[in-house]
Amino acid sequence: MRLRHCLGLALAAAASLPFAAFAADTIKIGVPIPLSGPTAVYGKPILAGAQMAVEEINAKGGVLGRKLELLSRDSKANADEAVRLSRELIIKDNVDFLAGTLTSAEAPAVSTVAKENKIVFLAPSSKSTILTDPQHIHPYIFRVASNTDVEGLAGAGEMAQFKDVKTVVTIAPDYAYGRDSIAAFTAALKKLRPDIQIVDSQWPKLGEPDFTAFITAMMGKKPDAVYCSLFAGDFVTFSKQATPLGLFKAINNRLVDGGEIGTPDEAQALGNDYPYGIIGNAYDPVIWGGGNEPPEHKKFVDALKAFTKDQYASGWSIMGYEMIEALAAGIQKAGNTKSDDVSKALAGLTFDTPVGKRTFSVQSHETFSPEFWGVMVKDANYPFAIIKDPTPLPANFPTN
Amino acid sequence: MVAPSFLFSQFMGGLTTAMFLFLIASGLSLVFGIMRVINFAHGSFYMFGAYLAWQMVQWVQPSGGGFWIAALFAATVVAVLGGVVERLLFRWLYGREELYQLLFTYALVLILGDAAKFLWGTQQLSVSTPPLLAGSVQLFGTTQPIYNLFMMAVGPVIAFVGWLVLNRTGVGRIVRAAQMDREMLDALGSNVGTIYTSMFVVASFLAGLAGALVTPIQSIVPGMDVLIIVQAFIVVVIGGLGSLWGTFWGSVIYGEVYAFGIPIQQAMAPWLHDMILRWFHADVPIDIQGFSLYAVYALMAVILIVRPWGLFGRPLR
Repeated sequence: MRLRHCLGLALAAAASLPFAAFAADTIKIGVPIPLSGPTAVYGKPILAGAQMAVEEINAKGGVLGRKLELLSRDSKANADEAVRLSRELIIKDNVDFLAGTLTSAEAPAVSTVAKENKIVFLAPSSKSTILTDPQHIHPYIFRVASNTDVEGLAGAGEMAQFKDVKTVVTIAPDYAYGRDSIAAFTAALKKLRPDIQIVDSQWPKLGEPDFTAFITAMMGKKPDAVYCSLFAGDFVTFSKQATPLGLFKAINNRLVDGGEIGTPDEAQALGNDYPYGIIGNAYDPVIWGGGNEPPEHKKFVDALKAFTKDQYASGWSIMGYEMIEALAAGIQKAGNTKSDDVSKALAGLTFDTPVGKRTFSVQSHETFSPEFWGVMVKDANYPFAIIKDPTPLPANFPTN
Repeated sequence: MVAPSFLFSQFMGGLTTAMFLFLIASGLSLVFGIMRVINFAHGSFYMFGAYLAWQMVQWVQPSGGGFWIAALFAATVVAVLGGVVERLLFRWLYGREELYQLLFTYALVLILGDAAKFLWGTQQLSVSTPPLLAGSVQLFGTTQPIYNLFMMAVGPVIAFVGWLVLNRTGVGRIVRAAQMDREMLDALGSNVGTIYTSMFVVASFLAGLAGALVTPIQSIVPGMDVLIIVQAFIVVVIGGLGSLWGTFWGSVIYGEVYAFGIPIQQAMAPWLHDMILRWFHADVPIDIQGFSLYAVYALMAVILIVRPWGLFGRPLR
């Protein structure tokens, strides 16, 4: 019995040796990201995009001759949990970098951990301006996503195209992202179309199951158009309740939404119940309505579909993919994996993505990435709505 | 000043909210009223109802009667699940301290939540409105979805049938006896265990049915279980735990307070601003978003203080 025990231990030790030797050579990237709970809908595809990028880079021999290794942990979209996991990844797992988080609750919290530990941290999807504003910016934080100012400007541009619209109602979830995006939209619209009045703003809670009373209150103001920052399941619920209440008919489908409802992720859920004719956006439309798909994008989506074995793929994977591509480019440029050098390399760095080049601003460490906007249309080839002629907007954003 | 058609829309919106809440809260109230167990996993049964209905719609296709088959299937499967859970697990909880019951049912919430994620993933799902009830009608200058009107009919019917069975039949008499004195009923030769199981099955059926019926107007997402149980709990606190009509009126009060809170908060913000300016000479920006929700919670708090057994409930002995 004791002998067998000893043998087992020896065997286990022997088996783990080659792996330990291998692990020392890899560049370790800690990824705290929601993998359970409602937000896992986005956490999982972002992680899949990151994994695909790692696989592609490693197949080409890695970075600086070393392979990349992802250590993913479930942050449950909880700021405290994300902070705890990030500390653990740094202290116990000795990660070289942090790359992850989903929401604007987690990312600013993890950013403080990155600052304390002087370790580069890339946030793929947090949009709140707070993450990189002058009070919170530090050398180690980088944002791959757009921010709410960019989103609001693009959304206001889309709204401004409706020449006969004079009154607009807004509806957004009542937390940082919703508040920031509506504030940005309102400010941008005031400049573009001072004649449009915002006659009402509704703030349902995040995850609101029943929008009926909000919708009837909105309709009571008889708006010409609606600007909306609802996303994910909230948008699905909202549009299912708004359609029979006659909202889309009353505003002639003039609804603009900045919450990435143009991805197959949302469109698939609604199927043919989608309110066709509204304007939506996406980081990656995945399915490019109306032709003109850039060849690099097609290559990326085909590879993603093969990698995830998804029939249609997610519009969020691109954020994880870009995050790893950016980090790899930064390490390559720095010539080593010291966070201080990589941070200097990343500031001002231009990197390639499947949808064009992105550059980290030197001052605020973000890309001001445009998103793809367009009318949501029915397409005979798909059982759900797709964006027609996805256009990167805003065309020009005053970067600092 | 306020258009009557607007008031009517808000009122109808509130009633729709109320009827969905009633379907889910009635089961919660029933289980507590008879077995004295607060079943936090009731919301999980509701979520399973929604997912199962979606699953069945994928199999049978929503055309024609597909949705109704799916709803019945979902409610039945959840009822069976409820029966099994009662027989194997809940049985041990009767008469225990509330703390154990809470911990146990909360554990069940976590387990069932993970099971749903395992079975159906985390992607939001959706079911189309059955063709018969799709679309809307014009009522007093407002547009009313036919499906909402259908729900407004279903709620009172269930409340009435439930009341009829409990108060006007032999079975109902025995059930009420079980509620009042379990041991005495046992001694008189009734099988209390079977009564408990049947009531649990009925409550689970209602939860599954509510979950299935909500799918045409809501997205099916992980987390819907916890969200609904909190709302249902507020409803039964307002109406009175264990009282069917209390639950009904509790739902209506919840729905209407929520629906009218939305326009009221908009009218109130400038008024409050003017009042503060006049009395305190301070120009404070007033932001009372979410007033609707606070109003509902405040109502619950007031009721818990002045009438802890709810508007229609009876004080616990």
